[in-house]
Amino acid sequence: METDFFSAAFLSALLAIVLIDLVLAGDNALIIGLVARNLPKESQNKVIFWGTFGAIAIRAFMAIIVVYILAVPGFMLAGGLALVWIARKLLTPEGGGHEESHLAKPATTFAGAVRTIVIADAVMGVDNVLAIGGAAHGSILLIVLGLAISVPIIVWGSKLVIKLVDRYPSVILLGGAVLAWTAYGMIVREPFLASWFETHPATKLVIAVLIFSISLAPWYSERLPAHMKPLVVVLPALLLWMLAFEVAGTVWKVQIDYLMASSQGEYFIEGLRWIGWLPFVALFLWVREQFLQRSQRAARDTH
Amino acid sequence: MRLIHRSHRAANAVRTVSPSGELFVASVVMCMILSAFGDSVDPSLFGELGFEYALFDLSGEFSVLAMRHWHLLQLFLAGSTLAAGIMVLRIVVGAFFKPLESAPPQDAEKVPIKF
Repeated sequence: METDFFSAAFLSALLAIVLIDLVLAGDNALIIGLVARNLPKESQNKVIFWGTFGAIAIRAFMAIIVVYILAVPGFMLAGGLALVWIARKLLTPEGGGHEESHLAKPATTFAGAVRTIVIADAVMGVDNVLAIGGAAHGSILLIVLGLAISVPIIVWGSKLVIKLVDRYPSVILLGGAVLAWTAYGMIVREPFLASWFETHPATKLVIAVLIFSISLAPWYSERLPAHMKPLVVVLPALLLWMLAFEVAGTVWKVQIDYLMASSQGEYFIEGLRWIGWLPFVALFLWVREQFLQRSQRAARDTH
Repeated sequence: MRLIHRSHRAANAVRTVSPSGELFVASVVMCMILSAFGDSVDPSLFGELGFEYALFDLSGEFSVLAMRHWHLLQLFLAGSTLAAGIMVLRIVVGAFFKPLESAPPQDAEKVPIKF
């Protein structure tokens, strides 16, 4: 990563970190309020200060640790896959009612309150630090700068953040897209897969579309008419099917390129690759239809 | 327990997003996928074609190969330009087709024609 402050790479990574920090920020004020509510008035201010300080310190420490962990082969891929799930969860509309945190139980002592706040922040911030660790491309400077910009905004300007996302909910969608893009970058940068991607460059596009189709599913499934809803499952499944043949071709040294196929077995595999998914999709659609009919019948019977 | 969950609109962003905001994010996603496409094509395949390919790439499908080097900031800018372009196109096409639509029979603007 370039350390030139005005390079597009540096500013882009910083922008991604700040955006991710904003959309994945935990509700620290609520946690502190819940934990400190049973304490005497004079202790509450001290708990707010030390709780906030501890939360920021643990967040910065975790983010720096994540940068080193992501350098270990295999973790970049695992982190990328986790980010896909985080992006999907971010875009999934909430079921209704506000989630009460089970982490924030009222404390009776000052030390207990600070400990609970720090632990709650650490647990809530795991997804956040993973995402900014991936977006920082291994730069500690970027992580520190990103935290220096976004933490004060979140801690002292949480109302401003809420106003911003309330006025422009598209910021959340943009955050989801940036998370998916970061996940793609992490998976493609995985050292284990680097040589495989060099020999199979086309799979990068398949992986990009797969990641976006899974992460952004809550968004586009809202816009799809009822009869098109199975596409939310079928599209990623089809991409996985295609990807599986590419992987199988490498692992078992099977010829999957139709131009290079020479034996009957290779032609059979080729046919399986292109049309073998059709029966599975038909089966899925039939089972889904049966389930829908059954649930409709059950709903009619109860009324 | 995220900060965004304090706002009902933000927690249900996929339902409450404005059409223009949605168009912008969709354009950015399109640019990201095009960038991934550029990343997935082996540039050596086109290296041999050189000037010829540059001259005959009229539809511009190979120009996206340059997007492989784009950063997030550039993708945002390209996405906003694309979204603005689509919006203008929608307005222009709408303005062109609107006069061609016939007014409803009971409409006040309908010119009464009697034989």
